[in-house]
Amino acid sequence: MASTLVSMSMSPLLYRSHLRSFSAILVIAALAVSSCASDTQRFLDGTAAEIYSGECVQKTGDTVTIYSGRTENLIEPVLDAFACETGIPVMVRWGASTDLALLLNEEGSKSPADVFLSRSPGPVGYLESKKLLRPLSSDVLELVEEQNRSDSGTWIGFSGRKRVLVHNIDDVPIEDLPNSVFDLTDKRYEGRVAIPATNGSFVDWFTVFRDVHGNEAAQNWLEQMVDNDARYYYNNRAIVEAAGRGEIDMGLVNHYYNYQEIAASGNKHRAKNHDLGDQDIGSLLIITAATVLSSTDKAAESESLVSYLLSTPVQKYFTNRTFEYPLAFGVDPAEALPPLTALEIGSVDFDKLGGGFEETTRMIEATGILNQ
Amino acid sequence: MRKERPPRSFLLKTSATAICSLFFFPTIYLIVRNFTEGARPGELIFSSRTLEPLKRTLLLAIAVSVCAMLIGSSLAWLVTRTNLSFRRFWQVALAIPLVFPSFIGAAAFNRTLSKGGSVADFLENFGVQSGIQFRGFWGAWFVLTLFTYPYVYLPVAAKLRHLPVSLEESARVLGNRPLATFRNICLPQLLPSIISGTLLVTLYTISDFGVVQLMRYDTLARAIATNHLAQPAVALAISLILLVLAALVVSGERMLRTKTNATETKHSPRAVQYHLGRFRFLAHCFVWVIGLLAVVAPLAALSQWALGGIIRATKPTSSLTIDFEKILSASWGSIWTSVIAAFISVAVVLPIAFLAGRHRSKTGTVGQIIILSTFAMPGLLIALSVRFWTLRSELAYEWFGDSSALLIFAYVVRFGALALGVCLVAVIAVPKQLHEAAITLGASPRRRFRKIDLPIMAPSLLAGAGLVLLSVLKELPISLLVSPLGFTNLTSRIFMSFEDAFVAEAGIMAVVLVSISFALTWFLVLSNAEHR
Repeated sequence: MASTLVSMSMSPLLYRSHLRSFSAILVIAALAVSSCASDTQRFLDGTAAEIYSGECVQKTGDTVTIYSGRTENLIEPVLDAFACETGIPVMVRWGASTDLALLLNEEGSKSPADVFLSRSPGPVGYLESKKLLRPLSSDVLELVEEQNRSDSGTWIGFSGRKRVLVHNIDDVPIEDLPNSVFDLTDKRYEGRVAIPATNGSFVDWFTVFRDVHGNEAAQNWLEQMVDNDARYYYNNRAIVEAAGRGEIDMGLVNHYYNYQEIAASGNKHRAKNHDLGDQDIGSLLIITAATVLSSTDKAAESESLVSYLLSTPVQKYFTNRTFEYPLAFGVDPAEALPPLTALEIGSVDFDKLGGGFEETTRMIEATGILNQ
Repeated sequence: MRKERPPRSFLLKTSATAICSLFFFPTIYLIVRNFTEGARPGELIFSSRTLEPLKRTLLLAIAVSVCAMLIGSSLAWLVTRTNLSFRRFWQVALAIPLVFPSFIGAAAFNRTLSKGGSVADFLENFGVQSGIQFRGFWGAWFVLTLFTYPYVYLPVAAKLRHLPVSLEESARVLGNRPLATFRNICLPQLLPSIISGTLLVTLYTISDFGVVQLMRYDTLARAIATNHLAQPAVALAISLILLVLAALVVSGERMLRTKTNATETKHSPRAVQYHLGRFRFLAHCFVWVIGLLAVVAPLAALSQWALGGIIRATKPTSSLTIDFEKILSASWGSIWTSVIAAFISVAVVLPIAFLAGRHRSKTGTVGQIIILSTFAMPGLLIALSVRFWTLRSELAYEWFGDSSALLIFAYVVRFGALALGVCLVAVIAVPKQLHEAAITLGASPRRRFRKIDLPIMAPSLLAGAGLVLLSVLKELPISLLVSPLGFTNLTSRIFMSFEDAFVAEAGIMAVVLVSISFALTWFLVLSNAEHR
């Protein structure tokens, strides 16, 4: 309402009659919005109810502030369920993971944030290098396998996305599909492969690539891809969508976008995921990361939120609703997802990601892929 | 008889200095951060990693500016001064491209016009293979031109509606052909509006990250974004170079600006209308092509996603992740912040405009350069700098730490330039003689401001407010990073839905966003112009 008053005090700038009708609309809109604001709910509805169906606990204590690089559409039901089940209120700043990491760095020790959720380990690694993260307690860390958390105990993975090759089913016959990312430098694939070269999960994937195969092999591969006229796209979703339309034949992406596109467009979306072999770097599992910031004064509540993300109902939600891989012990991936293989579980050290980030970005930029 | 009193000018100067220093925060932030990160902009500027993107930035900025200028001004003339059909509709509709957030607008082009898109499919039925690939220079040029011409169109149209007709009529009575009349009479008066609008296009193109990223065209703004996390020193140095480039462009434009005779009067009778005659068909084609490409094509793609989602939501198995309540709260967030930011922007740049335009004072000139160059800074940098400064002052944090005032402030800093460009032209257009006469009659400065300046400038001020308003509606990084916790607007929600391929949700909210901008543009910019 205050906002309406402010705009009315500007009246000399407007012609009166229009001002009146205009403010009237503003007032009506304000009333409409305020009347919609619901009081404290006793039970959850919608998707959140799939995670927690019990009665909500009376809200107590301080609000936990979350900076989330995971988007509202996917994560809000989880946070609603947390607030309802524990009674700990939450507030969220949504944004792109990289932007939020930059913001947290600028805010430093004064940051209002308690918890940071990132789409990929890179931004968390960046914050770790700036010493802005608070170590998690071992109770929380032990909820996942050792390789799905940081060695210094400052962050933990809470869901996984598998790297796959998405391809158009009309333009790419099955026998044309490669068995490894190393095949993609072949002339057969000239100008046909899309790469999301600046996207967080690709950068992280490439850092692991460097770690597993060595710098030289990694650089050679990317340079050959550029020579083979690989195409740059700005993110995974754009590639999946373009492959579905037939604009590009195939692309290296995270598995779960294709599920979302099919859910949205059905048969009109002409793309499928192709699994690049058991031992290939091309089928790595990239994890999403949760961390508590050193600026927090609500450590206990923040940790309970992080461990809530790894609780069975939430992990089931991730795999059934957002088609991701659960990371907590004892929760199986949804049946629709391709099974995980040896490389994905056990042989990758995600701690390399934070430090390797800078060098990887430099390497990617130097190949000139960004202008492809 | 009273004379112009110095205290007023003093007051004007103090307020202008205060306003300038607020707009200067992002620049100081950049300089400070360059020092703390040990960046070396001096060295970097001569390396190929800067020179190449710099070259591309300039090339793109020039190409987009020239085309947007031509399209914007000719559209403005056609919809205000000719017997074009559906003029009223086009007057509002042609301003709409400004509101498409670039990440979704550019994507919408791909989805309709590229292979497999709805328009391409349609054409294929007739055997036309449209293999348009939107990428590189041409892709960026195409999309940016279509999304930025309103920076020229809106102020020029506002100006055209209020040009005194007496001169034009005399010229025609004296036997001047329409084209000659336009060249000799209208153009000189329009030129300031056209040039200042074009400057805004140039600066916006320099600042744009969304379109060049989607089109894979490596400009300075993109180099900043790519390096921000991995090599902050490089990103910050390039940002500083970009800011200097912008300041150079702004200063260059000041030198280019021609002095025109102020001839504006408050109540001009109905404007001269030209009959298009044999050019009618051509004119219609032009307006329709621009309208189809810049408004209908993106809107069609968005509606298609929206409809798909609504149809899907009727089935029990799958539901949308947004509901009516969410759309309503996001719309309300968009509406009130953009309206307030628009009016505050106009109010705060007015003193600068008066100083720079009428009094030709140094403070005004400096203010003008600061405010306009800040417009070339990517929104992300403005957002970071605002948070940076608020958290470094106890007092500022106490007052503004997590408030909507801070959000509005950031919007004003980001888009104040849009209002300033238009206000400057408006201030210059107020005839001196009116003021001289009023002083003779003993009118106080305040009274003169109310009775002379404001009425004459009103259409331009509203056009300036309109530019800010539409821009705030689509601004993303500031909306996400500076907003008080719990605040959302439509752009944020569209972005989030789109990021995870919830295209139906993104489509629905984008259609709502366009409808809101249509209505607001009508109210603020055009309705009063038509009823007089």
